[in-house]
Parts: sequence; structure tokens; C-alpha cells
Amino acid sequence: MEIDGDVSNCSLILLKQGAEARVFESNFVGRRCIIKERFSKKYRHPSLDSKLTLKRLNAEARCMTKARRLGVQTPVLYAVDPLLHTLTFQFVEGTSVKDILLEFGQSGVVEECLGDISAQIGDAIGKLHDGGLIHGDLTTSNMLIQNGTNQLVLIDFGLSFTSTLPEDKAVDLYVLERALLSMHSSCGNVMDRILAAYRKSSKQWSSTMNKLAQVRQRGRKRTMVG
Amino acid sequence: MKVFEVSNGNALSFALFTDVTNSKELLDSMRAGTLEPEAAFLNASLVPDVFPVLVAAHKALLSNSRDSLSSRTVHSELVYCYSGSKHISESLKRFGISESSNYVLAARFNASPEEMEAIRKLVKGTEVELEGLEAKADKAQIQKHYKIPGSELGISSLSDAISCRVAARDAL
Repeated sequence: MEIDGDVSNCSLILLKQGAEARVFESNFVGRRCIIKERFSKKYRHPSLDSKLTLKRLNAEARCMTKARRLGVQTPVLYAVDPLLHTLTFQFVEGTSVKDILLEFGQSGVVEECLGDISAQIGDAIGKLHDGGLIHGDLTTSNMLIQNGTNQLVLIDFGLSFTSTLPEDKAVDLYVLERALLSMHSSCGNVMDRILAAYRKSSKQWSSTMNKLAQVRQRGRKRTMVG
Repeated sequence: MKVFEVSNGNALSFALFTDVTNSKELLDSMRAGTLEPEAAFLNASLVPDVFPVLVAAHKALLSNSRDSLSSRTVHSELVYCYSGSKHISESLKRFGISESSNYVLAARFNASPEEMEAIRKLVKGTEVELEGLEAKADKAQIQKHYKIPGSELGISSLSDAISCRVAARDAL
């Protein structure tokens, strides 16, 4: 009899803490994993708090698996715990697109690599949008390039939702455009390359592009009248 | 046979059998609740890898520790969790054994060597290595039951696709 899975390695290591959740690294049945815990907000009424937390937890799990069904790589989900408000998923070995682009900014752009990354990003967003899924937080730090395969992996579906409105898709792209402008302007115009790939991948690109032009004029938030 | 540590010191032992001849008896004694030692029998042609079963085991153990089992025992819960569906009787029918099945994956939580020996006696068939699972898996049936589209298989293995569905079942 051989026993698989290292028991001693069950420790939790805090990696990041945000406003909504804490992210730990741990071990799930012998595999390296990430645990995302949505903690409770003490300023909210307890019953409202657990309802909201649970709703967001389930939405995130749902959107991550839906993205995979649409052919966009996301971490494999290992467990959902509705009581402790945790999600456990695969630890993706790789570098964030943010770090790669920052490196390009410092030591010169590797054209071939940048072209591949932006093509993958555009293609992935096109697939998501055609399937009616909006990522909601498209920034370069939520995109990883997996070691070895150089495959793009999207992470953090905490703000994701389903929608087929061109408005939502355009805002999704606009958020990415702003993020690229503010972080990575030294890499040249990455957004144009991403949009070129998006046009190839999404069948409904034209209405989204028209909307994007409008969103660019007015910003992310719609002006509310009345 | 192989043992995998799942969570909190709980382990799951596996034994894979081909050419099983007495699945009807196993099914009958399982339904009557007289199976000794108790074990979970899975239709092994729907198991391409042990990992998704371990994901299901983790889930079953969790609901067992919280006294929130949806089915009668922690072993039937394992089969139910592995199915990735919310339909208990249907999932036991599909992913458990039927009267005609001859390729069976037996699993037991925290089994002692004696208990695994007893399971080996209980199942009339040839024990084979777990490594054979992938080659003998019925990919078309798996894709149909779990509703895995071709676009997903382009970026993911069958085992990962099942794991996601098992884990996310209650969130869907």
C-alpha cells in the first residue's frame, strides 16, 4: 500500500489580501492549490452579509466553469465550500501578463512574444463575449501565461456576470484599454493588436466596437438622467 | 490497489476490477444495505482518472462531517458527488454499477488492509492497475453525461473538465 499526497504540506500560506477576499496557497489531495476565502464584512447585517457572500461565491464558481466551457482556460475548480465561503482551485504555474509587459517596458519588447500574447487575449475575450460572459475585471494582472505551454489563463472571475448587451462587452474592453494605457504605454499600442484578434474571434464584434467608441467618449459609467 | 489521502487524515482506497461477474449480487446487497464492508462501486468506464473521484470524495467527506449527506451513506454520497448532477437516483444508476456492469471501480473510505481484502473477495473479477483507467474510459459517454463541449476539450483534459463539474455542482 502506498499513500499519495503529502500530509505535512497542508499548511496555509497567505499570498494576498484584498477588499473582498484573502488568497492562500495550500495543498489539495496532493496538488498545489489556491484557496480564495471571501471573508465576512462586519459592517453588514449578518444575514445580508452571508447571503451576499454566498451569492458572489457561487457566481464566481459558475463563471469560471462557464469560461472553460467556452474554450477559455481558467484554473480548474477543486472545491466550493458554502459554509466557510471558500473556493479552492488549481495553482497555475506561470507569470502574469502584467509582469511580462513591465519587463518588456524595461528591457525592450520581444515582438513575437507580444504578438502571441495579445492575439491570445483578444481571442479569449472574443470567446467569452460571444458566449455571453463578461469578465468584469480585465486587467493584465488577472491574466497569466502558463509556464511551458505559453497558454493564456484568465483568473479572478469575482466580478463576472452573464450578459449579451454590447454595452457590457464594450465596458469590459474599455476597462482593459484603460489598464493597458496606464500600466504599459511603453509597449506600444497593445490594445490595437488585442482588438484585431477580438474582431477575428467574436462574431458580434461590430456592435461591440461601435459601443466601445461611445464608451470611450463618455467613460465607464453611463450618464444617468432623471 | 492504492490509497489516497483526501482531507483531515481521511483516506480513500481504490481497487479496480475487470470481468466482474457478480455485479447483480453486489447491487442487491448494496440496496439492502447488507454490504459488508460497505464500499462505493463506480462504473469504471466513466472514470478517466482518479483525481475527479478524489474531488468528489473531498465533497462527500465534507458533507459527512457536517451531517448534511444527501444520500444514505458516505459511500453512496461519493457516487452521487462524482456524477456532477443533482438527481440522486439517476446518478446512482449511471455512475454506480448496474446488473450488467463488468468493469468496476471499488472505493472505501479509511479502509484497513483486511477490509480491502474482504472487498477483493466480495467482487468476483480480475483486479487490475488503476493506470488502465484512462485507456478504457468511454469518452463519448463521459462527454454526454457531463455535457462537455468540444470547445472545452481543446483547452482542458477530460479529468479536469469532470473535476470542475463535480466541484461546482451546488453553485450551478
